[in-house]
Amino acid sequence: MQNTSFIGCGFRRDVLILAVVMGLALCVPGVLNRGLVFIAGMIWINAVFGLSFNLLFGLSGVLSFGQAMFFAAGAYATAVLTQHFALPLVPALLLSAVFGGALAALVGSVALRRSEGVYFAILTLAFAELIHLLIANTALLGRNDGLAGLVRPRLGIGSWQVDLAAGDNFYYFIVGACGLLILFIRWIVDTPFGRALQAVKQDPERAEFLGIPVRMHRLAIFVLAGATTAAAGALVAPWAQIVTPELAHWSNSTNPILYTLLCGSAYFWGPVLGAVVLSAVFYVTRTLVGMSDMVTGVLLLVVVVSLPGGILGLLARSTRREDKR
Amino acid sequence: MQVADIATLLVNSLTWAMATFLVAAGLTLVFGTLHILNFSHGGFFMIGAYLAYSLANAIGGSPSIGVYLFGSLVAGVFVALLGLVVDRLVLRRLAGVEDAYVLIATYALLLVCEGSTKLIWGLNYHSVMPPAVLDGAWLVGNAVLPRLSLFIIAAGVVVFALLEYFLNRTKPGRLVKAIAADPWMAQLLGVNVRLVYTATVALGFALAGLAGGLLVSNQTLSPTLASAFVIQAFGVIIIGGMGSISGAFLGSILLGIIDAFGQWALPGLPGLPFFLAMTLILLLRPQGLMGKAKH
Repeated sequence: MQNTSFIGCGFRRDVLILAVVMGLALCVPGVLNRGLVFIAGMIWINAVFGLSFNLLFGLSGVLSFGQAMFFAAGAYATAVLTQHFALPLVPALLLSAVFGGALAALVGSVALRRSEGVYFAILTLAFAELIHLLIANTALLGRNDGLAGLVRPRLGIGSWQVDLAAGDNFYYFIVGACGLLILFIRWIVDTPFGRALQAVKQDPERAEFLGIPVRMHRLAIFVLAGATTAAAGALVAPWAQIVTPELAHWSNSTNPILYTLLCGSAYFWGPVLGAVVLSAVFYVTRTLVGMSDMVTGVLLLVVVVSLPGGILGLLARSTRREDKR
Repeated sequence: MQVADIATLLVNSLTWAMATFLVAAGLTLVFGTLHILNFSHGGFFMIGAYLAYSLANAIGGSPSIGVYLFGSLVAGVFVALLGLVVDRLVLRRLAGVEDAYVLIATYALLLVCEGSTKLIWGLNYHSVMPPAVLDGAWLVGNAVLPRLSLFIIAAGVVVFALLEYFLNRTKPGRLVKAIAADPWMAQLLGVNVRLVYTATVALGFALAGLAGGLLVSNQTLSPTLASAFVIQAFGVIIIGGMGSISGAFLGSILLGIIDAFGQWALPGLPGLPFFLAMTLILLLRPQGLMGKAKH
């Protein structure tokens, strides 16, 4: 339970892993049908969602139960910017990430100042529900129906043009964009700032004593995680072609928590594997209503109660045992 | 705004308040004693409501008030038994685990509750007719006072009074309070702390099940009932000060009034006054209105 440092494989090896996974992911449309390609795209987006959450939880020891507000902020920002203002996709995505970061700065500067631990978790949940209600009651954002019929725009400079609506082009775009985001998140972990956050997680008091401004560091990572979460959410808008207030509901905030905890918050790749495993659970149980909640809940309980390292922790332990022999 | 409107709004806010208090009572009791913020409390409340629904269905027609109350008690007892199982399998193993993981573990329990409710009772909406005695409304002047609302208000007050009596005036109740204050010292004095914890969990869960039975006619049953009520109950116990029964009682009345009058003032934004109040209190007075400061 008390895993104090973030277990990665070293920056170079993680980049290699990412490159291999991206390479494999690019083959997906060749082998699987359209429905599964859609799910694969959602897994990439959710992996970034989970990794952003784990920047807070696994790296810095901050539990937020309201990350859905940033995810929804990114999705709605992109939807509005591309639909109402006809902005090209890439600037819209960047602006959405900035918007998510700004929202996180606003929420974080209030919430982190006043609360810690469980109180912070509940406070972020309350903030997210406020955002959820505001979205569901704003005419510009389509109230409870959300915004539908979002187009996947063209991408291009000058004569070089790609139509993202055609074929599986947008899937490839998601793989590329999420790859970049994952690289960025992995880079944050390795910076001196990321290492300072690990110290903050281990012992905030001692970290403060060593001259690390604990609150500023927590706020900074909250903003960064808000921005990457919003970037992930922004990709949902053109991918699903619809955004609804459900994106901001607190049950969506629990998704990255599930991904992370299931496979191990102490591992950089934990949330990624978690997103894959839970999507598989949802896919397999999709015909039996309630089964996915049941399986997810029981898996999570087993992990929290008896496998604190998550599935990756279990794997690591079993391989270590083999090494000894 | 006329007097009758105010009376109606007051009855609405008190109904909301007591319905929420009935759910929050067990939540705050378990938090105050075991220091576990139980996300799944709403789930067990929902299971209690569905049990009462099945019971009413088995009997058929509009239940008599006796059957209605009996159904609530059965739901309470059944959910208390579930609580013993949960205590044995999950809660006992959470001792010494970080708060964040405890919160997530109880969220996992909520998922299990929602999953089993969907598997057993399906996704369809269900409703239960209130007993004939509670159907309809009294007219006082121009004010409409639905009898079911008055019943819920009375139920909330009775449960509050019984709990306060139990915790302050009886020996086992004082034991619960003593352990909440200092489990280590209680252990030294020869109290079987583990047993009291188990009993408290059973009582907390019984309250959830009872609330489910008492409120079954007050709203439509659907698998979203759990999350809706657990957030309301969180708000109430946060405002009142976590772990305090009287705090939850006053907090629910305050939030009920804010919610009902806020909706009257801002009809376009249902639920917003509740979350605004909850956020503000958390920011300005995180220990709640009745809670003591941590240091």
